Amino acid sequence: MAWLDIRSLLRFSAIFRVILILYGEWQDSHMEVRYTDVDYIVFSDAASLVASGSSPYNRTTYRYSPLLAFLLVPNSLLHRSWGKFLFSSADILVGYFIYYILKLQKVPENLCNYSVMAWLFNPFTFTIGTRGNCEPIVSAMILWIIVCLMKGNVLQSAIWYGLVVHFRIYPIIYSIPIILVLDPNFFPSGQKPVLRNWSAVQKERPEDPNGWFTPLNLLKSIFTWNRVIFGLVSGSVFLFCTGLFFCLYGWEFLHEALLYHLTRTDPSFAKDLPFCLFVQTVSFVAFNKVITAQYFVWFFSLLPLILPWSKMKLKWGGLSCILLWIGAQTHWLMWGYLLEFKGKNVFLQLWVAGLMFLAANIFILVVIIRQHKYSSVFKAFEYTHSKHTTKLE
Amino acid sequence: MHSGFSNSLLPRNRIILKKILNDNYASYYDRHTSLHDSDYENFMSQEIESGLCQVLPENHNSSLRWSVIRRHLVGEGSHRRVSTLIKLQTQQLLSCSCELILIERLPSGVFADPFELQSLAQRGVYDDIAVFGDTNLELPSFLSNRSAVEIHLQVDLNTLLQPTDISIELPLHARYQPLNESGYSIVEFSAPDTLLRCRMKEELENSNCLFKLINDDANLYDAALVWRIPSGKMAHSHLVSIVTFLTAFLSTLVVMVTSLHYFNSRVSKDLKQS
Repeated sequence: MAWLDIRSLLRFSAIFRVILILYGEWQDSHMEVRYTDVDYIVFSDAASLVASGSSPYNRTTYRYSPLLAFLLVPNSLLHRSWGKFLFSSADILVGYFIYYILKLQKVPENLCNYSVMAWLFNPFTFTIGTRGNCEPIVSAMILWIIVCLMKGNVLQSAIWYGLVVHFRIYPIIYSIPIILVLDPNFFPSGQKPVLRNWSAVQKERPEDPNGWFTPLNLLKSIFTWNRVIFGLVSGSVFLFCTGLFFCLYGWEFLHEALLYHLTRTDPSFAKDLPFCLFVQTVSFVAFNKVITAQYFVWFFSLLPLILPWSKMKLKWGGLSCILLWIGAQTHWLMWGYLLEFKGKNVFLQLWVAGLMFLAANIFILVVIIRQHKYSSVFKAFEYTHSKHTTKLE
Repeated sequence: MHSGFSNSLLPRNRIILKKILNDNYASYYDRHTSLHDSDYENFMSQEIESGLCQVLPENHNSSLRWSVIRRHLVGEGSHRRVSTLIKLQTQQLLSCSCELILIERLPSGVFADPFELQSLAQRGVYDDIAVFGDTNLELPSFLSNRSAVEIHLQVDLNTLLQPTDISIELPLHARYQPLNESGYSIVEFSAPDTLLRCRMKEELENSNCLFKLINDDANLYDAALVWRIPSGKMAHSHLVSIVTFLTAFLSTLVVMVTSLHYFNSRVSKDLKQS
C-alpha cells in the first residue's frame, strides 16, 4: 500500500498533530475544560520566570530540570504554543527512530510501518505531545541512546544517557541493562557491534555461543573499557548538569527535580535490550505509587520496538489485551471521577480498582513476555567473526 | 457578573495583608508567619484605626447601606467556588473612587490556587488578588497551614445610588483530609471581612481612607458555609495496608517467576545448542 510508506506516515502524523494543537487553542478559549495540560501552564510560567532572570522553582509544582524551562523560553517570546510544537516534533522523531531501529535489525518494511503506527496513531501519545507534555522528548532521547548503542557509539550514548537521567530521573532504571549489554562479546573494544537480523530469530534456531553465563567470564567482563567509558561519561554529564543547576538554583532544584523515589530493577533479559527496557518500564510504571497517563508514554515508545518479535496476533490476542488494559483503566478512572468531581466517598472502591488495574498490567506483561521471541540485539562477536556475517553500519 | 464597577485610576498593589496605607506599618504577613484568628483580628482593628477617614464626611458609614445577601458553594467534588453576593447602596454622591476589599480566611482543609486567581485577575474578573499562606498546593490537609485570600474590586459610588448586587466567586480546591471514622471531614468557612477603601478624587495629603463594612442584617450572615470533603476511614487502614502489600508482593512474584521461566525455556535452549 502506497500510503503506508514511512514518509507518508510521518507527514500525515505531523499534519494531524498541527491540527490537534490548533484545535487545542480553540478548546482552551471556548470550553470549560482546557485541552492544554495543566503542567504545560506550569512549564510556561517557569519559562517566563527564567526569561526574566529568576529561578523556575519560584513557580510552585515545577518539578523538572531547569533545562525544560530554558527550552520553553520561546513560549513567552514567540508564541505560547512553541512548546507543544517542540514536544510534538519529538513525538514524530520517536516514530522515525522506531522505524530506524527496526530497519537496523532488518525487520521487513510493512512490519516496521505497523510498529511505527502503533506509536504515531496511539491516542495516548498524540494527545500527550499536543497537550503540551514533555515526555516525547525523553522518549526520543532514550530511543536515540538505543540507536547509538546499536551503532556501537558508546561515547555518544553515554552523553545522552547522562543528560536524560538529569532531565527526568526515571531512566536511571535502564543503567543496569545498558551496562550489561556493553558486554565484550558484543562490544569488542575498537570494533562496532554486529546486529542480529529479525529473520534469523524467526527461524527459531538461535545459535549464539553465549559464553557470558559462566561466573568467571562474567567477572572478567564486568570492567570493560566500554562500560567504564559509559559509566564515567554519563556520570559526568549527569553531575555536570545537576551541579550547574544546583549552583544556579540551590536546594530547591535538588529537592523538586531529583529526590524521587526509585524502585527495583529487573535485568534478566539484558541482552535483548529493547525488550528488557520495555519489561522494566512496564513494571516500574505498574508498581509506582503515583500514576498518570504521561507515564504510559514511557513504555508506549518502546512497545513498537518489540512488536515484530511477538507471536501474539493482533486479532483476539492483541485486541483483548488492549481492551482489558483500557477497561481496567476506565474502571479505575470512573471511581477517581466520582471522588474528585462528585465528592463521593469511594476511596475503598478506588483502591480496589487500583489493585485491579495493577493486576491487569501484570497479566498483560506476563502475556507479552510469554509471547516474545527472545532475540539478542547483538551477535556475539567470535561467532559472527567466524561466519563472516555482514556487518551493519 | 458585576455591576457598579469602573476602571478608575486607583493605585495597584494596595494589598492590605501585604502592604498597608501607612508605610510605617508592617503588614500582617510581615509580623506573623501564619494565620491565627486572634492575631488577625488585632491586626485588622489596628489597620482600620490607622486608616480612619479624615476626608470623607463623618456620617459616611451611615450613608452606605450594605449587606451580604447570600453565601454558598457552587459545584461539587474537590473543585468548588465560594460565591458571595453583596448588596451595596449609597445615599449620597461622594467624589471619591473606592474599591471593595474582601478578605477570606480559608479553613485548613481547602486552598486557593494563586496562579488560577492571577489568571482571573488578568482576565479582569478581579482588580487585584493576593493569596497568603501555604504555596505548596499538593500538601495534604494535616501538613498545611491556613491561608488567606484578599480580593479587590473597584466600585463606582456614583452607580450605587440604586441598590446594587455584587457577586464575587472564589475558586477553591479541597486538600486530602486526614483519616477519620465518619468518612467525611467537615470544613467550615467563617464570614469574610469586607472593607471599603476610598480615595478622594482631588489629590490631597492623606486622602486615602479604609473602613470596615458592618453588615446591616447579621442574621443573613450567620448561616455557616460547610464543605463536606470525603476522607479515608480509619477502620479500613489495616485492611488496605495488608491487601496492598500482598497484591504488590504477589505481582512481583508473578513477574519474577514468568521472567525466570522465560529465561530458562528460551535462553538456556540457546546455550544447549552451542
